[in-house]
Amino acid sequence: MIRVALAGNPNVGKSVIFNALTGAKQKVGNWPGVTVEKKEGICEYKGIKMQIVDLPGIYSLTATSIDEKIARDYILNEKPDVVVDIVDASNIERNLYLTLQLIEMEANIVVALNKMDLARVKGYKINVRRLSMELGVPVVPMVAIKNEGIEELKQAIVYASKNPKKPLIRYNDGVERAISSVQRKVIENSILPEYPSRFVAIKLLELDEDILRKAGISEEVVKGWIS
Amino acid sequence: MKRLHDLEPGTRAVVLEVEGDLALKKRLLGMGLTKGVELRVVRNAPLKDPMEIEIRGYNLSIRKSEAKNVIVEVRD
Repeated sequence: MIRVALAGNPNVGKSVIFNALTGAKQKVGNWPGVTVEKKEGICEYKGIKMQIVDLPGIYSLTATSIDEKIARDYILNEKPDVVVDIVDASNIERNLYLTLQLIEMEANIVVALNKMDLARVKGYKINVRRLSMELGVPVVPMVAIKNEGIEELKQAIVYASKNPKKPLIRYNDGVERAISSVQRKVIENSILPEYPSRFVAIKLLELDEDILRKAGISEEVVKGWIS
Repeated sequence: MKRLHDLEPGTRAVVLEVEGDLALKKRLLGMGLTKGVELRVVRNAPLKDPMEIEIRGYNLSIRKSEAKNVIVEVRD
């Protein structure tokens, strides 16, 4: 069974897509220890079964809110085979921030570019193929409320599960140097070995509290590594 | 050089810098208030706080106390 997580900003049509994928086969519960709703369901495409988990709607993955922490921990710890990143095409610039963060976490993502009709009304002309090339991940244009693109999305999920993509987001030379030195320390000291080392290095450079705490190291130590 | 909370509705500006402690800074940057981005003040809430700005194609409501940390250059 392919394990799939749905991620995206609030109000991108995530529930519509979840329902379209899973139909009546849904289970509603809550995330362990918190009262945030957790929805799961099963989707079948040409005899292949997929388990779909709906993550909370979030704008970023900084782990500052409980919703963000749930989404981030799920992706890092459960390592779903595919993460469907639902992007509101009519608000694409803001939405792509989460997309980049998911890529940086080395999640195997498929972008579901939803609300293509609204984007058109706004006068946006989106070159889907170019977007997919620039991001280095598959992009499926959709109008989920009209059921457009659902079958294509299922097909893209199955394909992505067999052909995982892990594009690299490169920063400027100065930042890359800092990432390299921290990443070296991360590998040498086996810091959070279950997570991607470049991701850990970037989060340590950001002085991300959650990762600092999980790694059991202080801000000063990180600052020492880059000085 | 001005700060975002001082701007009147209708004003267009470019972000020069974001100040404040790390958590606030990350939140503002995460909402798209990065260096060089253009914004427009849409309106103020009835008691002038929060304020609504348009940025990167969407509308963002932001507290005056937070907007104070955003240094901008007004565009005419």
